[in-house]
Amino acid sequence: MSEETPKSPPRIGVFVCHCGKNIGGVVDVPSVAKFAEGLPNVVFSTDNLYTCAEDGLTCIKDAVVKHNLNRVVVASCTPRTHAPLFMSAIEEAGLNQYLFEFVNIRDQCSWVHMKEPEKATKKAMILVEMGVRKASLLEALEEKEIAVEPSALVIGGGVAGMVAALGIADHGFQVHIVEREERLGGLIGNIEKVYPVKRAASSVISDLERAVRASPMIEVHTSSTVKDAKGYVGNYDVEIQNGGASTFHRIGAIIVATGATEFKPEGMYSYGEDGRILTQLELERQMREGKVDGVKSVAMIQCVAARGEKFTYCSKMCCSVAIKNAIELKTKQPAIDVSILYNDIQMPGEALEKVYTDAREMGIKFLRFPLKARPQVVADGGLAVRFFNESLGADDELRPDLVVLSAPLVPREGAKELSRMLKVPLGQDGFFFEAHVKLRPLDFATDGVYLCGTAHGPKGLQESISQAMGAASRALIPLSNGKVRGEAAVAFADEATCIGCGNCVKVCPYVAIDRVERNGRFVAVVNSALCKACGTCVPACPSGAMTQKSFTDSQLLEMVDAVSQEEA
Amino acid sequence: MADSVLVIGGGIAGIQAALNLADKGIHTYIVEKLPTIGGHMALLDKTFPTNDCSICILAPKLAECSNHDLIDILAYSEVLSVEGKEGAFKVKIKRKARYIDEEKCTGCEDCARSCPIKVSNEYNLGLNMRKAIYIPFPQSVPRIATIDASVCMHFTKGKCGVCKIKCGAGAVDYDQEDEIVELEVGSIIAASGFEVFDPKEMTEYGYGVYKDVVTSMEFERILCASGPTAGRITRPSDGKTPDRIVFVQCVGSRDPKHGRPYCSSVCCMHATKEAMLVREHDEHVETCILYTDLRAAGKGFFEYAERGKKDYGIKYIRAKPGRIVRDESSGELEVWYEDTATLKVSRMKAGMVVLATALVPSRSTAKLAETLGVELDEYGFFRSPDPLLRPVDTTRPGVFATGYCESPKDIPESVAQAGAAALRASRVVAGVTA
Amino acid sequence: MADQFEPKILAFCCNWCSYAGADLAGVSRMQYPPNVRVVRVMCSGRIRPEAVFKALSNGIDGVLVLGCHIGDCHYLTGNHRTAKRMLVLEKLLDHLGVDPRRLKVDWISASEGEKFSRTITTFTEQIKKLGPANGGAHGRRG
Repeated sequence: MSEETPKSPPRIGVFVCHCGKNIGGVVDVPSVAKFAEGLPNVVFSTDNLYTCAEDGLTCIKDAVVKHNLNRVVVASCTPRTHAPLFMSAIEEAGLNQYLFEFVNIRDQCSWVHMKEPEKATKKAMILVEMGVRKASLLEALEEKEIAVEPSALVIGGGVAGMVAALGIADHGFQVHIVEREERLGGLIGNIEKVYPVKRAASSVISDLERAVRASPMIEVHTSSTVKDAKGYVGNYDVEIQNGGASTFHRIGAIIVATGATEFKPEGMYSYGEDGRILTQLELERQMREGKVDGVKSVAMIQCVAARGEKFTYCSKMCCSVAIKNAIELKTKQPAIDVSILYNDIQMPGEALEKVYTDAREMGIKFLRFPLKARPQVVADGGLAVRFFNESLGADDELRPDLVVLSAPLVPREGAKELSRMLKVPLGQDGFFFEAHVKLRPLDFATDGVYLCGTAHGPKGLQESISQAMGAASRALIPLSNGKVRGEAAVAFADEATCIGCGNCVKVCPYVAIDRVERNGRFVAVVNSALCKACGTCVPACPSGAMTQKSFTDSQLLEMVDAVSQEEA
Repeated sequence: MADSVLVIGGGIAGIQAALNLADKGIHTYIVEKLPTIGGHMALLDKTFPTNDCSICILAPKLAECSNHDLIDILAYSEVLSVEGKEGAFKVKIKRKARYIDEEKCTGCEDCARSCPIKVSNEYNLGLNMRKAIYIPFPQSVPRIATIDASVCMHFTKGKCGVCKIKCGAGAVDYDQEDEIVELEVGSIIAASGFEVFDPKEMTEYGYGVYKDVVTSMEFERILCASGPTAGRITRPSDGKTPDRIVFVQCVGSRDPKHGRPYCSSVCCMHATKEAMLVREHDEHVETCILYTDLRAAGKGFFEYAERGKKDYGIKYIRAKPGRIVRDESSGELEVWYEDTATLKVSRMKAGMVVLATALVPSRSTAKLAETLGVELDEYGFFRSPDPLLRPVDTTRPGVFATGYCESPKDIPESVAQAGAAALRASRVVAGVTA
Repeated sequence: MADQFEPKILAFCCNWCSYAGADLAGVSRMQYPPNVRVVRVMCSGRIRPEAVFKALSNGIDGVLVLGCHIGDCHYLTGNHRTAKRMLVLEKLLDHLGVDPRRLKVDWISASEGEKFSRTITTFTEQIKKLGPANGGAHGRRG
């Protein structure tokens, strides 16, 4: 297999396809093949009935050998479906698969100009000429591979972090968990029960911690932080700091599982003015400490500071947390009066809907209020909760013993610094921002870094765990392969011409370009294992140093020239 | 020990699980009962909350599966039996005859163009016709024709044969037979998705009686540029543009009596999306969503719904409709409902009504569970022995479930959980114990 | 004669969206005028404004730059760059002696086969009305 661009002048073979009658029925395919014969650098030209069929592929392979072709142009359907097939064929014949150009004369010619066969034929000819001119300038390309260090870093030792670490360690890779606090367990270390499975949170944490500590592949660093993480996928140099001491590690993949924390609504709903106004987490602690036993009535208020009040988002699990706590209260003291003031009850997942039904059947009251006029809490010796009761269609007031505010999860402190360190973005809401909201929720645009749990956004424990397993699965791709393969048609900065302005670094969506010091000046260096071959950096370069392989300026301009020079 | 994984179901969850596995170097089969992979996501117009064109973001994944050295797609196939145990399953698959030579077919569709038989097109939810020989949609993978022998004249009457004549590649083969193949795999992932609940029995909504009462999936096809109306919003009854479209939520969901007790999770969002798309297509059409609880809790979802209200002028009324009737003289529909804010019973005229019907485990899921020897929960979703720490496990070791068939969820959740299934499945073939 | 003038149209199409949309137009057999010649790039962000200008001053009568819808770019932000660059170019064209109506930037997704064929048809007709651009094979100014 040849990796070198042939040093001899281009010897192009052109294969024009009939595709049965699909092309041949409109375009005069033999004429196009004959026309191609006369183009510069074309040494062989033929037409095939079905170029993608066995005999068509054999024709190409034979011609490559027989006529010593060093570039191949196929004019047929569309590269989007058939390019890989032809590229494999020429590679089998001993030619680098990137010395290939595809000309679309079916989907974008014969099929759309069915009533104008002469013009379609002329168009096919010029398209073939464009392809031939580009092919003359094609170089052999390779996909750069970089080795991946067989180890992972999980930032965050909560449930998501532990699950992700176990997933990776299970497959035989070293994992470092870095946890800021003294203990593992994260946010749910503060709660009693996990719904809807009704398990004790402490048992979930202890089960996971036991497995983590028992694993010979996992090293746990508590009371530690990630001080620095330099490098890129497969090749991170990570500094973990514990007190004054630092340890250094080579890391292949990083998972961000830094979680979230409950917002404290200072200055809202009279929070902070009276010890009987609590957040849900504070309620759970008080329940655990037996401090709620004498309470006769509780009013919970949903959407505190969320859904357009201070934060734009819905925190997804506050309704299930409130209902869980309400059920726990009511189960312990059936006579207690619990009202939940809500706007829209969110109960994601089929099991939680049943929990909502159970809560209503237990006599927990659900009172609806409008978002534009939220409940008011007044500490006037007692507690007054004033709100517009939508079910009654009138103003209403409760005088509970305890007011519990369901506040949203917010990103943890340090997210900004981490985002800068790892070169991954934060969203508008301050949570980490994934590569694609629909199809890549656990990836970042930066290769090698993954995301899971409430660091991604508010969610319940079950979903965090699914995400943690999913993130481990994503991280295992580079880890299991031991290498990362880049694209072939990557960008490349010519060091001599580069003026080190850094424009390209700014526009690259994948953080694949670095501005580094070489021989006393700054230049851009493209990491061809990270480059996704979009070419956006090329027009950003003021000095013309940046090119994109297989889509170079000369190649594109040759194609444009062919059209300019086309006879009318 | 077999080192391959079998994924049953070629929707977004199955595809993502297969890609995660194959990218890790694990050989994966995707078995899909339809002639193409893509599932329901391929039929959506746009996806919330980004309003990305659905097939545009899906098609590259379909192509990736098709081109991947380690993925074998067995479309138009069904799982017949599963024997063995974790690490060593023997699975019998029936590859149904398409009556087309897969090696020869180029996907040009000359056959479909010349076929004289038209039948209801299930890919457009029955809103238009397809031929007896057909390719489901342009981006189908594999892009190979299929003959529906139940309606093809050659098979039912021994006549016609036009497609065979018209096929330039000689790909039509009426003598093709179903093929049984046996696969040896280490683990299995069920990703059999969902089905749309049929609201016909909820007679108060008039579905099946009034043409202009449609399900949200049908409306999705109407909105779609590649659908039966080329994206023009027109009433099925008379082709006119409606003045107002009313969306009714929770049809069959959160309804233990007539439907399912659970929430289908995605309907509040897709109603908002469809209403936004209506407003984008034609800002003269009013949109109104009648809902119970607006479930917009995912990342960016609440902001999306707020945009729908403020920027797109969608009206949201917390109400449950009582009845939908048709005024024969005007041809308009009338939606009777109780507005829970004002406690008044009112009625609203509507050119069209879109019912957000429940999404239920597909019928094939029930059959699949039997074949796999695993338990379903009371709603028909795959049951996990430990829903918290083993969310994608089933009651049979080595068999996992992900996507909607595991529990109601949206696309990002399906993609994330598919990764979890891939993790569990790969442990088996990687020989990890405990 | 102006009505016998057949303009030369060049369309830069990005692999993931507009090129795929063009393919879909073909699969759906939507017919459009045969004047357009497509140059495929991976992302519309690859297209240099200078290349567009060169085309328009060298015998090509109309240039289309067709990328993904904003927010849908396969490469995340490539088309944001395209939008900015082409906006600047449009403003400059007049000063450079080229009628800015000869450049059209549009966003066509992979599922918009109909939009692709409509865009080509409309643009071709508009350029026909404008007549030949200056320079190149036509040898006339305009």
